Amino acid sequence: METALVLNSFMLLTLLILFTPIILPPLLNIQNTPQSIPKTIKTAFLISLIPTIIFLHSEMESITTYWEWQLTQNFKIPIYLKMDLYSMTFFPIALFVTWSILEFSTWYMAWEPFISKFFTFLLIFLIAMLTLPIANNMFLLFIGWEGVGIMSFLLIGWWQGRAEANTAALQAMIYNRIGDICLILSMAWLASTLNSWEIQQTIQPNQTPILPLLGLILAATGKSAQFGLHPWLPGAMEGPTPVSALLHSSTMVVAAIFLLIRTHPILSSNKLALTTCLCLGALSTLFAATCAFTQNDIKKIIAFSTSSQLGLMMVTIGLDLPQLAFLHISTHAFFKAMLFLCSGLIIHGLNGEQDIRKMGCLQKTLPMTTSYLTISNLALMGTPFLAGFYSKDPIIENLNTSYINTWALLLTLLATSFTATYSLRMTLLVQTGHTRSPTITPINENTSSAILPIIRLAFGSIMAGLLISSLILPTKTPPMTMPAITKTAAIIVTILGIILALELSNMTHTLTPPKQNPLMNFSSSLSYFNPLTHRTNPTILLHSGQKIATHLTDMAWYKKMGPEGLANLHLIMSKTLTTLHTGLIKSYLGSFTLTILIMILMTPK
Amino acid sequence: MGAHLARRYGGGADTEPDPLAMPTFPVDLGLPEREPRTMVATAQQLSDGRVPLAQRDFCAHHLLRLMRCRRDAFPSLWQCQHLRHQWDSCEHQDYVMRMKEFERERRLLQRQKRIREREAAVAAE
Repeated sequence: METALVLNSFMLLTLLILFTPIILPPLLNIQNTPQSIPKTIKTAFLISLIPTIIFLHSEMESITTYWEWQLTQNFKIPIYLKMDLYSMTFFPIALFVTWSILEFSTWYMAWEPFISKFFTFLLIFLIAMLTLPIANNMFLLFIGWEGVGIMSFLLIGWWQGRAEANTAALQAMIYNRIGDICLILSMAWLASTLNSWEIQQTIQPNQTPILPLLGLILAATGKSAQFGLHPWLPGAMEGPTPVSALLHSSTMVVAAIFLLIRTHPILSSNKLALTTCLCLGALSTLFAATCAFTQNDIKKIIAFSTSSQLGLMMVTIGLDLPQLAFLHISTHAFFKAMLFLCSGLIIHGLNGEQDIRKMGCLQKTLPMTTSYLTISNLALMGTPFLAGFYSKDPIIENLNTSYINTWALLLTLLATSFTATYSLRMTLLVQTGHTRSPTITPINENTSSAILPIIRLAFGSIMAGLLISSLILPTKTPPMTMPAITKTAAIIVTILGIILALELSNMTHTLTPPKQNPLMNFSSSLSYFNPLTHRTNPTILLHSGQKIATHLTDMAWYKKMGPEGLANLHLIMSKTLTTLHTGLIKSYLGSFTLTILIMILMTPK
Repeated sequence: MGAHLARRYGGGADTEPDPLAMPTFPVDLGLPEREPRTMVATAQQLSDGRVPLAQRDFCAHHLLRLMRCRRDAFPSLWQCQHLRHQWDSCEHQDYVMRMKEFERERRLLQRQKRIREREAAVAAE
């Protein structure tokens, strides 16, 4: 009893601390400083460790109801908080990553005149994001879902003067909105069929119909930039690097995977839904990895890498392994945030240059940053005993040993190989070779507020996988036994990817580049998805709309139904009758005479 | 996966057992001294230990010991590594047993197929 009380109290205290920079300044008539919000989040992180440790020791889950909104007699929406493995583990991870990113932002955004407003936006985003894992009903989850979407829009378009930033923010909003509508449809089905939005009450012994599950999967497709609704994620790199690091790698994009983890009991009852997740995830991971090959913007490479890893998480959901997907979310947050922070340091040091073709030999000028960049790339590739290994390798092992779709397996292995290739390409172009950047650049890594967060995240990228997997017992028995080739499949394909990258790198020094290469055009144009969908659909819709709005009324009422229509009718009749008139008067007189004679003869006397 | 693919496309698919419909032969066919497996941990113990449903199998008694050790040894969880190894080893043996059952099912189906072919050949004569 006391354990549950302590657990709930510390979780509420954590949330309350996060609210203080928003509530206290207007009440006490004070201003937030750029240092106050990172310190608040650091405090919240340290306090959140207490309930996490209590939970890991006691393994006592807790569901608490605070207030109930009675919509109708039978339908109530409580503020329903669930403290289980997922929320207890995600809280400190999200707070740790956010603390590091905000501390980095005090250096990165030091010249920004509205930096306090920027930090406040990030804090509001964090509160919305933390609402998601702790929510035990769909209503509260939806509030968090929409909250992160709105803040994503505001933060991507932070530099409002840039047209590209505004376009990217709008694009993100529109693609996410498609997913949001599907989520609302699923919630409507749950409310009408099960009369409840509580996640526990959605579990039923029979197979759940495919319609609400498709809604959930489409919502996840939109939020997690899976194939079909993916263009917004690379475009979101128009926002500041801290926004990309926090929202579009570690937290917001994984909200969709979290939704599927929470609803996995109903998802696992329907094999078609699981297969959909598997195939969609496999396609997304390979597509994103292919696109990352030919990108030259360092942030876009990392964005596609994020998209690829999200596809891998979707594959894990398709394998009915939600805990493993959550483990990958946790480890991915560390090394992906570190990748973005290192790239931000490099971009700032090269005076805003983001093209990797104009970088080079940075391991001499930025030794620490490039070392941490290498560590995060190695973790991303699944190098043994770094963080990514403890989540990625079990996923590949489960994939290889399960009785599933071979096509999805092959695509995922190929994507794993490509991950190594584009990571090594980025490493070689950024860190090695000759310097291709201007000589007079403000390169330095002496600022502690820039380097210390990266060091913390590096510690997480090395130790997080080991810590989390040893602290948590698996809820499903992992595969123990498999042939050696299956066990080492992940490392073999990674090594093949590295060899491929080295060979291609050697070839670029000796061969002349071809003038036109259809495969490269396909990859660098992102498979022509953007122009095909962004031009075709709106053109058809707008043309139809224009025709309906301007031509339909005039055409229908003034022409077809009005004078022109009547004239046309007359024209048809007269044309038909005209052809009947042959002009043979004698024949007409003869037929009249014959008819009259017959009538006279037939008339009875 | 390789064996499954080879048998599906390389021949032998008609005698491939269906994992969801096993066993189709009596369990003591050819093994007269065989006794049914029994769980060591009771349902009450598993319920009290709040063991996840998917892990209430024939190795659950090892899992219960592991969970108790982890609770008592927290935060030095490395002291329970020997119990984790015992649980993993039991799961491995369980997997080997299941694969052996699968292989037994396949061989019995092949034997059944040979018997039917022999009877059909005799009937044709």
